[in-house]
Amino acid sequence: MADRDPKPEEKGRFIVERQYIDDRRINEPKKLDAGGIDISGRWGILIEPRTITAFDHTLMHEVQSTPGGEFIHRCIQCGNCTAACPTAEEHPMFNPRYFIHVVRMGYQGELEKVRKYVYLCASCGRCSEVCPREVDPSGVMTAIGTAVRKAS
Amino acid sequence: MSEPHATGLFDRAKFAASAKLTTGTTEEYLRMLERMRELERRDELLLHHVKDSYKPVSVHTLSRREKRIPTVDLWQHKSCGQCGHIPGYVTALYWIMAELGVPFVDDTNQTSCTAWNYYGSGTSNPVALAAVFARNMHAAWQKDAYPLIHCGTSYGDYKEVRYLLVTNDELRGRVRTILQKLGRDLVIPEELVHYSEWLHVMRDRLAARRQLDVSKIKVVVHSACHCYKLMSEDFTYDDTILGGRRPAPITSVALALGAQIADYSNWYDCCGFGFRHILTEREMSRSFAYFRKIQPIVRETQADVLLTHDTGCVTTLDKSQVVPLAHGYKETVPVLSDAQFAALAMGAHPFIVCQVHWHVSDWRPLLEKMGIDAEQAWNEYREYVENVKRGMKPNFIQSPPRVHA
Amino acid sequence: MSDPVLVIGAGPAGLQAGADLAGLGIPVVLVERRSELGGAPIRWKYKTLAPELRPTEEVMGPMIAAVESNPLVKIYRGSVVERISGSAGNFRVALHTDGAGARELAIGAIVTATGFEHFDASRDPRYEYGRAANVIGIHELEGMLKEGRVVCKDGRKPKRIAFVFCVGSRDRATNAWCCTVCCGVSIKQGIELKLLLKDVEIYNIYIDVRTFGLWEQLYWTSMEEHGINFIRGRVSQIFDTGKQLLVKGEDTLVRGPFEVLMDMVVLAVGITPGEGTAQVAEVLDLKCNTFGFLQPRHPNVHYDSGKDGIFLAGACVAPMSVEEAILGGSAAAMQAAKFVGKSALQAAG
Repeated sequence: MADRDPKPEEKGRFIVERQYIDDRRINEPKKLDAGGIDISGRWGILIEPRTITAFDHTLMHEVQSTPGGEFIHRCIQCGNCTAACPTAEEHPMFNPRYFIHVVRMGYQGELEKVRKYVYLCASCGRCSEVCPREVDPSGVMTAIGTAVRKAS
Repeated sequence: MSEPHATGLFDRAKFAASAKLTTGTTEEYLRMLERMRELERRDELLLHHVKDSYKPVSVHTLSRREKRIPTVDLWQHKSCGQCGHIPGYVTALYWIMAELGVPFVDDTNQTSCTAWNYYGSGTSNPVALAAVFARNMHAAWQKDAYPLIHCGTSYGDYKEVRYLLVTNDELRGRVRTILQKLGRDLVIPEELVHYSEWLHVMRDRLAARRQLDVSKIKVVVHSACHCYKLMSEDFTYDDTILGGRRPAPITSVALALGAQIADYSNWYDCCGFGFRHILTEREMSRSFAYFRKIQPIVRETQADVLLTHDTGCVTTLDKSQVVPLAHGYKETVPVLSDAQFAALAMGAHPFIVCQVHWHVSDWRPLLEKMGIDAEQAWNEYREYVENVKRGMKPNFIQSPPRVHA
Repeated sequence: MSDPVLVIGAGPAGLQAGADLAGLGIPVVLVERRSELGGAPIRWKYKTLAPELRPTEEVMGPMIAAVESNPLVKIYRGSVVERISGSAGNFRVALHTDGAGARELAIGAIVTATGFEHFDASRDPRYEYGRAANVIGIHELEGMLKEGRVVCKDGRKPKRIAFVFCVGSRDRATNAWCCTVCCGVSIKQGIELKLLLKDVEIYNIYIDVRTFGLWEQLYWTSMEEHGINFIRGRVSQIFDTGKQLLVKGEDTLVRGPFEVLMDMVVLAVGITPGEGTAQVAEVLDLKCNTFGFLQPRHPNVHYDSGKDGIFLAGACVAPMSVEEAILGGSAAAMQAAKFVGKSALQAAG
């Protein structure tokens, strides 16, 4: 089994159930002081909430106006694309259906987690062959890649 | 707060009461209470009744069952966490009882319920937990005083353990053997009463002795999971408080004292103490308490004080504010128990009795808004402490004389 | 002339049955407990009907006109059936009319078409229905759409509206069945809201999207032409901030909690058998299934009540669309016509 992810950072290593918490949410201060008491490192850890607080369609609109991404809004999340995708077979972080969902709804936290994996798309087009709503997921993957790069 | 919906009284409570849980459904709990009485009839256990001599007041529970709350001759079932970390919590309650002339028994012969140990570490076992419970209940019965549970965690544990004792013959047998070694009998209280339920039924008498004007104080309330979610039957609900949709204690006391109540979006959320979380997932507890409770409370209500009724909740909500404030977050609110707030309003000394200086989150603005001169009170306290160091006998809060010995 | 056929309920099923029977020359007694005819489409002021958003009047207008204009149909509004006696072919039916008292009629056969009620969402306290301003049901939204005016209680135009599917449906705590139509109806209303309020965002929060048969086109249109959003998930609590509604739930596909502000929440309140059906079941001694709907002799043959001379039609048997109710009314009318025809032949010879 190939290495799935880069090794998690050293931060938060004292948290008992560390593996269930996303790296990005752990705020471990290198140096922190509470009224004269040193709470650097593990003593000052805060875990940020993962609640989605807004639905934001800005990125989706960007994708819609990028070539290939015009039909992203047709997607019903059926999963035919991911089921047919050869990259998804091998790499658990690559999931065209999921990328479309987090882009449509503007889930920033999730997007941060997956953005670098979008470029693993092989452009084989199998997803677009099987998509029942003619979303052209293959085109959408390219458009998402472009839009995300433009936004950053 | 909106007016209670005329036809919706108790409806959320009814919905919760009809929830199908794997264990501890409301129906099962009510059946357990019947079985408890049956066991008494068969002389298989002694029931500590809420007799008329305890001057009980009736309330309704989640299922609209009538529950009798004793009001005098209480056996103070203390909380290890309160006595250890929030001493003002328990002294405030004692002070209130003394003020109202309510006799109580402060038995030194009480053990910790060990629930913290059970919930926190998953150690102990049903027999040990049940035996500790039964032993304490017997001690109360011997003194003819009705057990008043100070801690929400104790209360939740005792609900579970009483259920097991009544429904499991083997457990009952084993606990009886242990008690016999101690020269004790198996006594089970007819009702499990949390001290905040006592404050609730006494609220008008508290209000009658109010010294300070709290009408400008905005209170938010947090109700403990161990009190009203764990075995949800058995806690007090009142049609006139929050439309009967949420537990009545705390809120009713604040309203009776004339304070304002503010609602917020995460009322039903746990404080973050959790069960074992505060021990093994403290970063999660602290973060949860701040981001899910404190921050929304402050942003949505700008409340002056957050009141709650459990040792763990006071601890978690209060102390979890330290780290976020050090990080630079701005939202903070003082956390007190309902007992401390009521005692303050009735004129109790903020430091000698209510001991708010043990609380971490800044209580200075609250005291100021309540019209208390904190600096002067602090000087009085320091003088008091100096005098005690020099040999003065400290003030002990004594129980008013009992009518029945 | 034979004894008339009693049709109980003047919704789509009952109106169709009445019109069909009268069209065959059979006298009809049409009893409706409310003061107006038309059942749910009229009572709740449906603006349009799924799936093609055709105006309700196109269907209901002619149906109501058909019974009102036919002299063979005697209509009793504000009336209920209190008692029956006798037997099939020779029923004696006691009617009670508001403000006019009781009367007894000789009836040959009965068609029961007592329809449905929408689930009362105040029974499910999660959604704050009946407490929070701007939490409404799909039935109430229809009336607002019909008037062409959808606003929040304070007069503001809503910018973000969430639909919560399956309220009072598919739930052991409330009703265990699926109400068939409310996915389609909610989506239809979402489209109508997009047409009415130009820059509104619509969020359909669903367990499944059950736009059955040809209604599926609504699902496609809503997304492809109107950009309506779909979130697979459930809502656990609605908190009224005083200005907006904080909707808390989980997005299943992200396995993550959301807490988002909406201006209005529309609950897809399901179809329940209703008091009228329960009352008639008792009076006519008809079997109800565990869900409270009238139980036909065979689950796949709705019109057969299992009792001679009594026929069932429409949503009192199972949740269904207007078109299915109309079909049910016609089917029951045919059975009733056959029955009274045979009775007449027997009586004659």
